Amino acid sequence: MRSEILVLIIGMGLVTFIPRLLPSLFIEKMRFPARFEKFLRLIPYTAMAALVFPSVFAVDSANIWIGIAGGAAAALLAWLRLPVMVSVIAAIAVDMLIYIL
Amino acid sequence: MSAHKNRKKEYFDGERAALPVILGFVPVGIAYAVMAHDAGFSALETVLMSLLVFAGASQMMAVGMYAQGAGLVAMITAAFIINLRHVIMSTCVFNRMGSTPLALRIISSAGVTDETFAIFTTSDEKRCTPAFFLGLVSVAYLSWAMGSLIGALASEALPALVSASLGIAMYAMFIGLLVPSLRGNGRLALLVVITACVNTALSQVMTSSWALIVSTLVCAFAGVFFVDLGEDAA
Repeated sequence: MRSEILVLIIGMGLVTFIPRLLPSLFIEKMRFPARFEKFLRLIPYTAMAALVFPSVFAVDSANIWIGIAGGAAAALLAWLRLPVMVSVIAAIAVDMLIYIL
Repeated sequence: MSAHKNRKKEYFDGERAALPVILGFVPVGIAYAVMAHDAGFSALETVLMSLLVFAGASQMMAVGMYAQGAGLVAMITAAFIINLRHVIMSTCVFNRMGSTPLALRIISSAGVTDETFAIFTTSDEKRCTPAFFLGLVSVAYLSWAMGSLIGALASEALPALVSASLGIAMYAMFIGLLVPSLRGNGRLALLVVITACVNTALSQVMTSSWALIVSTLVCAFAGVFFVDLGEDAA
């Protein structure tokens, strides 16, 4: 173990822990107004939308259809209220099929 | 049922909810370890980083920068900026978790990731206990550690076809969590479409980590004025 890498790992460990830690220290003491509660409840939807778009189109940087086909398969099955695991496996299967064909 | 038995049940429930994460984290962990190997990291260094940092995007960025000769300060700063989004996600997680002892909150906070946040905040509120969250986190953490270990020991562990096909897994999980809540709520669906467009546009003019933070916050704020989430009509 090189000491430079150890410093890097500890430094990264600290700076990635702090953003996760800070809310956990204070959040319980706060009583939020209803509007702010609603804002917090909308964040999962906007965050997931931003996590998926646009990067899903670059799952395979050489073939945009890998992201589109896999994503569409997952969306269709999720629309039918099938378990998340089914969406994940179907998306993988569709992409694997495209690679094989 | 005793409180202890309840907590055990909640923990296993969390583990079960996190099963899709395995399909996402193991291959990405392998991909990270292969990148780290190519950048000159030993197996021990590669796995230790996964155990102590537990942040895929930051770790891949760091080993990529290291390979190009970047300095320590630059790599640590990049990791900080990439992970700033977790302030937002952690706030949502602990707001939803409700009354929890401080020590347990601190331990749980180390397990906040895009994926554990996404599963937890879309689960039925009654299920959102500390034990449920810890169940989620333990599966996610183990998958990340195992993926890194497999990749570090055998860099060609997955055939190219399999690893390429698994690239969609994390996105499929987010889509699978997101879409059911959009059924029957057109305004929420509209908000998701708007956010996707805003983030795509912002990604052209700033780094993707800042674009994600800005579009998440701005669009959620906008949504307060036109989306109806049902029970909190207040």
